[in-house]
Amino acid sequence: MLRARQHDPDRIERRETPAIPLTPVDKSNSEEITTVPSSQSVAQRDLRLDFFRGLALFCMFIDHMPDNILARFTIQSAMFADAAEVFIFISGYTAGMVYGRAMEREGFLLSGVRVYHRVWQLYVAHVFLFMMFMATVGFTAGALNTPVYAEEFGAANFLNEPGLAVVKALMLQFQPAFMDILPLYIVLLAMLPFVLSGFKSWPWVVIFASVALWLAVQLDKRIALSAYPGPDHVWFFNPFAWQCLFFLGGWLGWRGNHGGVPRLKNRWLFYFATAGALAGFVIRFSWTLHDFYDPLPVPVSMEFLWPLLSKGDLGFLRFANVLAVALLVSRLIHPQARFLATRGARPFVICGRNSLHIFCLAILLSVLGHLVLNEFFGGTLMQIAVSAAGIAIMISVAALMEWFAAAQRASGTTALRAPAVGGGA
Amino acid sequence: MTLRSMSRTIILIAATIGLLCAPAPIFPQERECSVPERFYISEPQLTKTPKAIAHGQDVVIVALGGASTLSIATGKPDLGWPARFAAALAERFPSAHIKVVNLAVGRQTAKQAAERLDREVIPMKPSLVIWETGTMEAVRGMDIDEFRETLRAGIDELRTAGIEAVLMNMQFSRDSEAVIHFEPYLAAMSQLADATDVPLFRRHGIMRHWAENGSLDLRVTDNDQRRRVAARLYDCIGRAMADFVTRGIPAANSPAKIGSDR
Repeated sequence: MLRARQHDPDRIERRETPAIPLTPVDKSNSEEITTVPSSQSVAQRDLRLDFFRGLALFCMFIDHMPDNILARFTIQSAMFADAAEVFIFISGYTAGMVYGRAMEREGFLLSGVRVYHRVWQLYVAHVFLFMMFMATVGFTAGALNTPVYAEEFGAANFLNEPGLAVVKALMLQFQPAFMDILPLYIVLLAMLPFVLSGFKSWPWVVIFASVALWLAVQLDKRIALSAYPGPDHVWFFNPFAWQCLFFLGGWLGWRGNHGGVPRLKNRWLFYFATAGALAGFVIRFSWTLHDFYDPLPVPVSMEFLWPLLSKGDLGFLRFANVLAVALLVSRLIHPQARFLATRGARPFVICGRNSLHIFCLAILLSVLGHLVLNEFFGGTLMQIAVSAAGIAIMISVAALMEWFAAAQRASGTTALRAPAVGGGA
Repeated sequence: MTLRSMSRTIILIAATIGLLCAPAPIFPQERECSVPERFYISEPQLTKTPKAIAHGQDVVIVALGGASTLSIATGKPDLGWPARFAAALAERFPSAHIKVVNLAVGRQTAKQAAERLDREVIPMKPSLVIWETGTMEAVRGMDIDEFRETLRAGIDELRTAGIEAVLMNMQFSRDSEAVIHFEPYLAAMSQLADATDVPLFRRHGIMRHWAENGSLDLRVTDNDQRRRVAARLYDCIGRAMADFVTRGIPAANSPAKIGSDR
């Protein structure tokens, strides 16, 4: 059984369990669906990663439904960054930790193939989402011919040349609504084996290059990846900027395997991060309140900070804010903090653990939720009900996947599992 | 959370949604397309233009925009919202000399419109420019930061020339929302308007409100009916815009509540 686990890359990425368990095999995993995990299995896992990734997924689902009152209470209303930064940072951290360990154990080639197996899964998920998008277009195609928009929709290239749009989507160049973050994740993960081997030999050179590339994007907006439709179209999430967050996360995750980074434990750095995160909160939250009630003043006008707030280019404030909050979380919340193992935290943890599937589900549900809200309207109560329904579906699918994985493990049929979870290969 | 308790939760939530959907009230087809106060209340008021209108001076107002300003859906420019806006103003201020010039071009981006400001718009010496924009950017998924900067530069240019500005955001239709991601562009326009103190005519929210209370149903298939619906929509928008622009001055010929609660 242990062997089967080691050779299943999906397991590694999904679980954040050490591929070579540091303590004896965690037999408690099989019972974790119905019971709170025993302290033995918890001791091996950084539940914070699962928890906050789950939180980011819930926020992403809610943020993607405009005209939803709850979207004003997600993480984006309290910090400059939003769910995208949290998701990419934690994904980088997890990938650095898991594949960094794999690389040290099995060498560049085998661990590289593991990474690319995961890249393939992400790609399949991207194609799946694109199918969903095209289905939505097909479903509403007649209605898109609405009198008020007919003329301007004529300019939407993908409606005029759907064949080309399909090819461009397969090449990751066509990124319609909500289909922009998986392409980013795909290219970043594809780069990871090379970056990880760089970390092994010259970590500071790689970090420096990564930060320099991010800085270059901030200074010169022309550094971007072209997208469809051309000629001036670029990827929404600029991979040349966002790589820095992902690989910084990856470096921290990789170093975490070896006892972490001592310099990050510096007391002054902690104070500095606290001050930064607090300032970010005060400014960002004042904008949120101002949005609710216009006469409320703001300490710093958004206008002055715009150049530092670009989402596509990962502006300085978004970047710094997510790093500061990550440092605070890592210092204030213990990896095995008790609340992370409670029933209340469980929905977050299981969604974060099955992040790829739940992510795709969240995108699908937000499109459906948006359709429902526009069909029936119904005000705040309806928005809350639709959001709650979506989150309940996400949680139950995650619970089902956990239950299924545990059942598979119990009956020792790991070989049959791969197709069931959409691994593909 | 166990699977059982979860399925119970789901059933409960599904039931709630069902209840919320069920009593969908049936509204009369032809209702007044009034605009609730909340769409205007936090927007700054214009100063020069309403005063000039009240004093009966010559006032030129330029409308910039795309297909919806050009009135392509009705097939007739005099049924577009700028023409209806002019008519509503004339009705309310019979002694005023107001000329509304429609400079809209179909499928034009904000950038292309901004490039026309100093050549075509400013030489007309308008006292107000109503800039309808954002649709092409959202349909094509163009760069949001650049879009906002273009608008800001355009507004600065108008202000330097002593011209007031009103921004108008995108239209709302139930079916386009799932395919076109309007939200970030709406947010960008709202933030820009707030930061630059330019009044924003929230057409998207207003049209959503009309769809919600049943006063304007855009879901029609018949071609004739389509033109009628579009004409009615533009008439509603034009009159609402007249209210919006002249807030703060009492109408000389106070009409019996022309389609608005102002």
